[in-house]
Amino acid sequence: MSNGGECRYVIGQNAYIKLILHALKHKTSAVNGVLLGRLSGDIVEITDSVPLFHSSQIGLLPPLEIALIMIEEYYSSQGLSIVGYFHANERFDDLELGTVAKNIADHVYRYFPQAAVLLLDNKKLGALRNKKDKAPVLQIYTRDSSKSWKQAEADRMTTKEPSANIVLLDYTSSEKWNDIVDFDDHLDDISKDWLNSELFK
Amino acid sequence: MVSKTEESQLQQLENQVENGGGGAWEYLSLVRKLKLRRSDKVLKHGLTLLNDSKQRSALGADEWTLYEQVAIAALDCQSLDVAKDCIKVLQKKFQDSKRVGRLEAMLLEAKGSWAEAEKAYSSLLEDNPLDQVISMRRVAMAKARGDILGAIDWLNKYLEIFMADHDAWRELAEIYVSLQMYKQAAFCYEELILCQPMIPLHHLAYADVLYTIGGLENLQTAKKYYASTIELTGGKNIRALFGLCLCSSAIGQVTKGRNSEDKEISGLAAAALEKDYKKNSPDKASVLGSTLKALKLN
Repeated sequence: MSNGGECRYVIGQNAYIKLILHALKHKTSAVNGVLLGRLSGDIVEITDSVPLFHSSQIGLLPPLEIALIMIEEYYSSQGLSIVGYFHANERFDDLELGTVAKNIADHVYRYFPQAAVLLLDNKKLGALRNKKDKAPVLQIYTRDSSKSWKQAEADRMTTKEPSANIVLLDYTSSEKWNDIVDFDDHLDDISKDWLNSELFK
Repeated sequence: MVSKTEESQLQQLENQVENGGGGAWEYLSLVRKLKLRRSDKVLKHGLTLLNDSKQRSALGADEWTLYEQVAIAALDCQSLDVAKDCIKVLQKKFQDSKRVGRLEAMLLEAKGSWAEAEKAYSSLLEDNPLDQVISMRRVAMAKARGDILGAIDWLNKYLEIFMADHDAWRELAEIYVSLQMYKQAAFCYEELILCQPMIPLHHLAYADVLYTIGGLENLQTAKKYYASTIELTGGKNIRALFGLCLCSSAIGQVTKGRNSEDKEISGLAAAALEKDYKKNSPDKASVLGSTLKALKLN
């Protein structure tokens, strides 16, 4: 397959929750992250994620380049690679996939043509409390042959565990986002673990 | 910009207050002094203080400052009723006050009544054309509405008058970066370095922008500014150390190794990183090693 046109995406609960918690930790700025996983037949399995940045300097290359090299070096030993990109815009109602996000996504696409771009949908996230929904609170974009990122149908991606949103709500009420570490945090204090290995223990 | 000591002091106070150890007023005062945005905590603890009449009267004249601080935090958390109540108290105490008028306009902003807020700010500015805070609200409103180009416009007008406002220059630079207008962002950082040459963050941000623009000359200049950042921070700034390594790698690629580049400085940076990781992040030391190898630096 040369495009993302036919594959489905299944995102593991931990990978999914990490990204949302990251966005919740930094409510007043844009955040982003990468998705790790592998292609399995016609399914892209997203098994992990790494939250990247939360500063207003998301559009700058140096921290991004270091992060991507380090992440690829670490995960390749597990047979995983970067299979997608996550972005949450600064403003609540902004559902546009901006140029910074697209550029980073294009870079990921070059190495993995079935890459997916996930954009946080704040309204869906806010509605979770009242409306128990199993679907991820994200918009999904894939790159078709026309070289542009197009929004895919919501059912193209599911969470591996159907209870993912329930667990997410749980963590939200306990303010679990305080424990999330991203690459920005790591660069400010290298003792902070961007793998978040202790997060769900 | 907050120093590391101030950051840890804040964290300590925050933990103390969160765990019922008292010190709410000290915490709130520190947040105010450092101009930080901790609205959910400020709202929670500020409101507790205000609702306790004994503690409130113990504050004396500071009581009104607290009302203002809580009102603004409430607006940020969309607790508009709390904000309204605080503003009402202030209105009663300080009738016809411009400062309270500002809060009223901010309430309109929080409600999304943009046109009314704009009218309120304009009339406040008529009497007080040099009010920095109100001028800044215009920028904030434009940003909140998604009118980024409008925000740039207002910010540039603001800087024509208040050209020594470093935070505003940084804000403008950050907006330019978010729009990938890197050359304009570079100009802002140049202004900041001219005004505040000893602040390493400006050097670092400038280097990051130059690297992002790319091209041999920019990479070489970026390398110089990563070096100055390292100098100004006593070699402790990880981002600058990485930046230096990236520059060397990129310059090597662009010149295809023809340039007898000063490999010594990037070698030093790489060594400094390895030493730091071994000490403070040992489980990531091998990933660092392979990263530096990928950059052809060890």
